[in-house]
Parts: sequence; structure tokens; C-alpha cells
Amino acid sequence: MKDLFRGELVRLTAEEPELRAKEEARWARDTEFHRLADGDPAQLYSDKKIKEWIEKNVEEGFKPERYFFSIRALDDDKLIGFLGLWLNLIQSEVWVGIGIGEREYWGKGYGTDAMKLCVQYSFMELGAQRVSLGLHEYNPRALRSYEKAGFRLEGRTRQEMQREGRRYDVFWMGVLREEWMQRQNGEQP
Amino acid sequence: MNDILKGSLVRLSAVDPEELSKAFAVWRRDSEFMRLMDANAARLGSQKDSQKSIEKELEEQQLNQHWFTIRSLAEDKLLGDIGLYVVNWPGRDAFVGLGIGERDFWGKGYGTDAMNLILRYAFMEVNLRRVTLTVFEYNPRAIRSYEKAGFRHEGRLRKLLHRDGKRYDELFMGILRAEWMELTQ
Repeated sequence: MKDLFRGELVRLTAEEPELRAKEEARWARDTEFHRLADGDPAQLYSDKKIKEWIEKNVEEGFKPERYFFSIRALDDDKLIGFLGLWLNLIQSEVWVGIGIGEREYWGKGYGTDAMKLCVQYSFMELGAQRVSLGLHEYNPRALRSYEKAGFRLEGRTRQEMQREGRRYDVFWMGVLREEWMQRQNGEQP
Repeated sequence: MNDILKGSLVRLSAVDPEELSKAFAVWRRDSEFMRLMDANAARLGSQKDSQKSIEKELEEQQLNQHWFTIRSLAEDKLLGDIGLYVVNWPGRDAFVGLGIGERDFWGKGYGTDAMNLILRYAFMEVNLRRVTLTVFEYNPRAIRSYEKAGFRHEGRLRKLLHRDGKRYDELFMGILRAEWMELTQ
């Protein structure tokens, strides 16, 4: 069987809370990253606070509706981002959130590769029927990346976001199991 | 849509720890009931013991556990309980456990009716793909009831149980959504 946690550019990992907290706190200090990844106001938290949250999740133990991965580049083994999956167990739907915190790895296919692993994991391991995500209108790089990973734009909530005095839409994307299976078999969906 | 928690003889109701523990303190004095329901040694316990463990179980994850009490439609009497425990989400499989504590209601279709309700709930509400149960070889009434509900025999753990100096098998039964659809639609 194929290695579910290894792509062409990245691998999915579980990192120790100390390292995760240190890197994630550093990424959060990049306000552009924060605004691309998150709809809330850019806010700073200490390494310590972030470590506490991570440890709390660890203590809660395995939950079948929540999966978290860190992302490492294969070439230099650098920790570059994270990936979270939330399952609606009853409806077999996965919601995914991804962030590549290391700027030097933006726009080079690392996020797309991680997202492909995530979609494969959702369909082949979690038994999902669809994978959903949301993104901001002002993040065209992410839109293109998600399209490459197989997502289709399904709708938009108009002017949901305000940044720097301008209003932006929030985009909603999804990929269905059948579409993804067809792509795997080399067919055009 | 129909009331999916109401059958022809029983309805499924919310587990009330105080009510169920009071009933269970009485039911568990019936060692035959305990042996039919549980592979462990029949044990006695106070109402308080039961209430504590019921409350603790209710704190468990809501989506993994769909637990109801069973009431007769005619008298609105508490007869027993039935629970669906999802053990494998990717495979969408759950174990079901059923106990009718009131002896007067044994062998009259009440348990089967409750099982029919929980199967519909499992397949049409929780969207599961299969439901699994275990039953003891020395419980032919339950085996017949499960067969009526559509379960098929899938395997057995040989001589797992030891009762009154004899050894008995534990049987595994299961039903797939497609089979259930064929039976009911």
C-alpha cells in the first residue's frame, strides 16, 4: 500500500508540542500569513499559550472527528506548516484548514502537495464522501492551489470579510469522492 | 416523515440516570437477566452505583454513543435499554446492545420492535453501513429475535463463556445497510 503521509514535496508529521508552539507562534507574527490563513483579527499569543492549547488537545486524546498534521518539506526536512481536518461523522464530510507558515515555501507547490495528501487521506482512510474548505477572496494563490488539488468553487458569501476598509467575499470549495476517484483514474471529471 | 423513535409496541426515550438506575437496581437482582445480557459474572449493585456509572457514560462522546431507554406504548412502562456504539467511523460500523429487564415482556416482540427502531436509526439517521452484535449461545430467544430483525450469523468465539460448569460460544451477528434496505423498503 502507498505511504499516506508522504507526497512528492512534503510529508505529514506529528511534532512535539514545544517545537510546534515555537514555530506556529513565529508564523503568527507574520500578519500577512495570519490574514491569509484566518478570518479573525491578527492577534499574538505567546509560545507558552500555544503550547498549552496543543497539550490540551493531546490530553483530550484521540477523537474520530479531528485530525491534525504538521507539514515538513522533503528536501530539507524543514517544518513549514500545518493541516487540520474536522469530520462531520454523520454526513461523512471533512472540513480542512491548511497553513504554510514559511514564506519561502509559498507558491512552489508545497501547500498543493500537502492538500493532495489531505484529500487522499480523507477519501481513502477516513471514508469521506466530500471534502470542504473556505478561503478569502484576497487569496488567489490558495484558490489556484485548491483547484489543482481537485476542489471546485461551489459558492461565495458576498462581502463577508473586511480588511483594510475593503469588503471581500468568502469562497467555499468542495471535492466529491467520485470526482476525485475519476481524477485518480486519469479521467476528466 | 414518520416518528423514527416510535415502533408498533415500544418507543425509544431519553436515558434518565435516576429512572434507569432505579429500574436497573431491581432488574440486576435477576441473575438470569444479567447472564443473558453480560458475559461477566452477575453482580449486584446499589441504585447509587448504577446512577453514577450511567451518568459517567452519558458524559462520553455523543456521536459515538446513541443510547435510549425502551418504553412500552400501551402502559408507557420502562422495559429496558438499547444502545448503539460506533466503534469504527471509517468503516461506519456500530455495536448494538439490548436488554429487556422486565421479565413479563420477554418473548413477546418488544425487544424485536426496539431492535427494528435502532436499526432504522442506525442506517437512516446516523448513516452507518453495518451494525454488529454479540449474543450468547444459551440465549436462543435473543438469537431468534435478532434473526427476525434481519441479522445474519457471521462467526463465533468458541467456548468463550463458562456458565454452570458448561462452556458456550459467543456468537457474532451483523447486518449491512443494503440488506436492511432490502428487508424494509
